[in-house]
Amino acid sequence: MTGAAVPRLHLRGATKTFGGVRALDGADLVVRPGEVHGLLGTNGSGKSTLIKVLSGFHAPDAGRLEMDGRAVPLPMPLGRSEAYGLSFVHQNLGLLAEATVLENLIAGDHERLNSWRIDWRAEAARARELLAEYQLDLAPEQVVADLSPVNRAQLAIVRAADRVREHRSHGDAGVLVLDEPTPFLPQEDVRALFAIMRRLREDGVAIIFVSHDIDEVMEVTDRSTVLRDGKVVGSFETAGTSRAALVEAIVGRAVSTNRRVPALAEAPPIARVSGLSGDILTDISLEVRPGEVLGLTGLIGAGHDEVPMLLAGAGGRCTGTLTLEGRQLDIATLRPADAIAARIAFIPADRPRLGIAPDLTLTENAMLPRLGRGLWLNHAKRRRITTDLLDRFTVKADTADQAASELSGGNQQKLVLGKWLQLRPRLVLLDEPTQGIDVGARQDIYDRLAEVCATGGAVICATSEFEQLEAIAHRVLVFDRGRIKAELAGDDVTKASIAKACYEGAQVHAAE
Amino acid sequence: MRQNDVTYQLERFGLVIVWLGFIALFGAMRPDTFLTWSNFSTIFGSEAVLVIVTLGLIIPLTAGDFDLSIAQVLTLVSMSTAILDARLGLPLYLVLPAALAIGASVGLINGAITLYFRVHSLIVTLGVGTFLHGITLWIGNSQTISGVSPILMEWVIIQRLWGIPIAFYYAMLLALLIWYMLGHTAYGQHLLFTGRGREVGRLTGVAVGRTRLTAFVLSGVMGAVAGILYTGTTGSANPSSGTFLLLPAFAAAFLGATCIRPGRFNPWGSVIAVYFLVTGINGLSVLGFRTFVQDLFYGGALVLAVMVSQLVSGRRERAL
Repeated sequence: MTGAAVPRLHLRGATKTFGGVRALDGADLVVRPGEVHGLLGTNGSGKSTLIKVLSGFHAPDAGRLEMDGRAVPLPMPLGRSEAYGLSFVHQNLGLLAEATVLENLIAGDHERLNSWRIDWRAEAARARELLAEYQLDLAPEQVVADLSPVNRAQLAIVRAADRVREHRSHGDAGVLVLDEPTPFLPQEDVRALFAIMRRLREDGVAIIFVSHDIDEVMEVTDRSTVLRDGKVVGSFETAGTSRAALVEAIVGRAVSTNRRVPALAEAPPIARVSGLSGDILTDISLEVRPGEVLGLTGLIGAGHDEVPMLLAGAGGRCTGTLTLEGRQLDIATLRPADAIAARIAFIPADRPRLGIAPDLTLTENAMLPRLGRGLWLNHAKRRRITTDLLDRFTVKADTADQAASELSGGNQQKLVLGKWLQLRPRLVLLDEPTQGIDVGARQDIYDRLAEVCATGGAVICATSEFEQLEAIAHRVLVFDRGRIKAELAGDDVTKASIAKACYEGAQVHAAE
Repeated sequence: MRQNDVTYQLERFGLVIVWLGFIALFGAMRPDTFLTWSNFSTIFGSEAVLVIVTLGLIIPLTAGDFDLSIAQVLTLVSMSTAILDARLGLPLYLVLPAALAIGASVGLINGAITLYFRVHSLIVTLGVGTFLHGITLWIGNSQTISGVSPILMEWVIIQRLWGIPIAFYYAMLLALLIWYMLGHTAYGQHLLFTGRGREVGRLTGVAVGRTRLTAFVLSGVMGAVAGILYTGTTGSANPSSGTFLLLPAFAAAFLGATCIRPGRFNPWGSVIAVYFLVTGINGLSVLGFRTFVQDLFYGGALVLAVMVSQLVSGRRERAL
């Protein structure tokens, strides 16, 4: 499998467990010198854990790493990866927007720079040379905030590549890891990135290309490795592999079904959304019936996660109308207070910032939506209601007066759910409701949502966890670049078919 | 559980205990000058102004905003009161509402600039405060203005109840009101969420902007009340009266947040912190230290207070 030459990067038996869950389970990865190597897998397949092991963010429980046949210590000492010939471009690119191209290029280049004196003139000349070499039409003094998204991505890639091009410890080129750099770029800009990647390959730099997009992987990689449930499913020569075979490797052939979705009575929709556009979303319409759990999903950058935010009046610029139980609301001018008055509840993804105030007590958090005009807060009553709420929503807490930060993630989320469901909402909007939450708490949350449905309410849940949709959704809408591209209902709502729908539609774009 | 926890109770009343310790110490060293009722009643009465400035500060602080202009509101209002009353001879029933209106409008300006232009309140109020000082010097011609109506002085400092000037009771009344507002009204909860979980509040329907604006107006009004009482206490207005109150007030606000309700700005904690600081300075000056102890004490207390609160919150995080 390693071929004739010594692999540039060889990871063996990498294992990482988070609270009993094996995120990475004996994964092997072989990257040859000067190849572009795709890394594929669904959310939760272990892709990002693997990358984080390489970058030193996670310490693996087991596993060994060799670069050019030399052992590299694991856990990788933080900030030392470049010295070992590994450099990373993450999705956020890691550029400082207010700084210039030059400042960004030299930022953190400890391996090369003298930290006591920077020769700006020499550095600018070097930067100009580097930019010219990769045919980037950028000047060192330009401010990054003024650059187009694709220029920023190019700059980040060139910067990272420059750090490992001449592997400083022993003269060989290193490995560049590109972690989903493309999802927010239009097609022609993606091509521009590919051109740089091919240039680097000619220079002998090996590239690990992490992507959701099979077409991109087919187009640019030499080989690819697929992960599923923390294990390596296989490594493929890209040219000799069909698209369908890759999709199957990613998705698997899961037959298990833990669906416990109650039957849905025939009824007119309780809520109808039409012409909704936002940052990514373009003119989408959807409806949801009483008692229904509607799942929204898609790959990164698909826009499904914008829907709950916008319908709750929490998002930025948008247009569209929402009709809830016959009442028409203009989404563009909707404020959170209006949404609450219309009996909409929104449980956001970013719990520590949007869901809960960690410094404040459980009572304060739980009672916030029930303050009204209160000129005399009855603390005993507030505490009693909260204690009752903690009990009903099985939140494990010592007292209603403790700070919310003292609870575990799962209990915090159950508290957020209780805070909203006590208002008896008719439409419950969720964004990644079970992020970082243990299995037990997950089930509790599903049960509470089922109660909403049993009383004739409706649930819209945006998530990238297909398993979760299989467990709870009556119907799933699959998004792609701001539009709905597929709808699955009834027995079609399985982890495998959702994943398939997510990955397959990408073909349409390649053809466009 | 927290409520029965001895260490938690010690934390709540730690500052009170240290305060009593100070009194005992200074009392033992100078029983005939320090430990007299007249010394204490003077402290209680004359520092009522500082108490009110501190109480004014904790309202925007709870909402996560700083009001550095409050001391200059005090100076401007004090000067305006003196001019309107002593120079122009306007009756107090016109002068006092005008004074409060000045405070409220400064608060409105602070809030409007902070919110509309999304500038940090620290910078806005620093600038506005200096601007106000300029106005004070201008209208007062950089001079101290005396001859304020004796009625004002009568109802601020001369009238006494149980030997303590009536100004002290005004401060306690305001502390009571703010305690009620912060702890027992929906607005108090709005302030708290605006400061400690702004996005959570916004998504739950709290009008975050209006809450912050109101907080600025309230601190402006508190600054004005303090300005009126200052004029009443001294019977005059001088153009630098408030300048030396800003730092003590911040020190007291942060020190107060380490006791009674640790981790939150709270009015009773603020009151205790003011009198703790003032007792320390009074005691040291009775012992013969010169004026530099003021700066040492106030500056040191401010830094110590934020250090202690960091330590306390750090300990809570580690205890998870």
